[in-house]
Amino acid sequence: MAIDENIEALTTLAEGVTYPVLVDADHRLTELYAISNIPTVVWIDENERITRPNAAEFGTDTFAELTGVYCKPHMDQIRAWVAQGTVPDDADHAIADLEPDEIAARLHFRLAAHARRTGMADVADHHFDRAVALAPLDFTVVRAAMPLRDGDPFGPAFFELWERYRDAGSPYHGIPRAAS
Amino acid sequence: MTTSTGSTLTVLAEQVTTIEATWDDARPVVAVAALPDLVGWELKSEGLCRADACVPLSDRAMVERHGGVDLVAAAAALGRPAIVDVDAGLVAVGAPADERHRALYDRIAPDFTLPDLDGTPRSLSDWSGRKRLLVAFASW
Repeated sequence: MAIDENIEALTTLAEGVTYPVLVDADHRLTELYAISNIPTVVWIDENERITRPNAAEFGTDTFAELTGVYCKPHMDQIRAWVAQGTVPDDADHAIADLEPDEIAARLHFRLAAHARRTGMADVADHHFDRAVALAPLDFTVVRAAMPLRDGDPFGPAFFELWERYRDAGSPYHGIPRAAS
Repeated sequence: MTTSTGSTLTVLAEQVTTIEATWDDARPVVAVAALPDLVGWELKSEGLCRADACVPLSDRAMVERHGGVDLVAAAAALGRPAIVDVDAGLVAVGAPADERHRALYDRIAPDFTLPDLDGTPRSLSDWSGRKRLLVAFASW
């Protein structure tokens, strides 16, 4: 589920994958599943039950030094779930609901993204500003807005966001992970 | 209270829909007949209804305005947040809070439909009966 509207970049990223890639340009899932950063992984069983809720899990170890999360333990857990039905101990962690400001930020982001797509640059700017002010540590709002405002999501603004996020105790709607 | 003449309103909900609306101060008022296409529920004497289910309205006058429907009030009655940009003629209507609560508290995965990379609509329930790993990722 790509929390993204850049089809070209997503097509490149998805080259060779054998599973379906869905495009969530309006960030509906960040509201519906209280997702505040990517990657976020949710396990869903055969009967629509969420077996293990939101957690930051990676497909590679590219960012492992930065995040402290390695991919192998999670991959092993998935194999055990599929093969034996084993569920990890952290799966009953309760995920906090979105705060009203976080919901409002998502709606402002949606207005901004639509305004940008339809050529209303000033309207887009206004709503991006509102969204970022309401959810200043939410990566699906702040970082996702960067490329839509001609910013670099891998540049200084990202590292500034990362520092603020760490200083605030890494607030995340998901299973807490031991950051290095 | 001021009521403006009709203007165009673009509603961002499950789909993007552009309709005619009037304004009651900063609140968009849409035709009763337009409501089901916007939020999936219709205004009836019992309240807001979809199939056999109806949500009674505690204050009908809040929702029914000038022969139309106050879209933000109707959304609120369905547990859906909304944010309006009057000048731009835009309103974003969020998901029902209940659906997110089912995910967070009852651990039932809310279904959704999104386009794949080719633009074909796909739903989580298309793979019902199988274990699924929902991976939220991005290029940013």
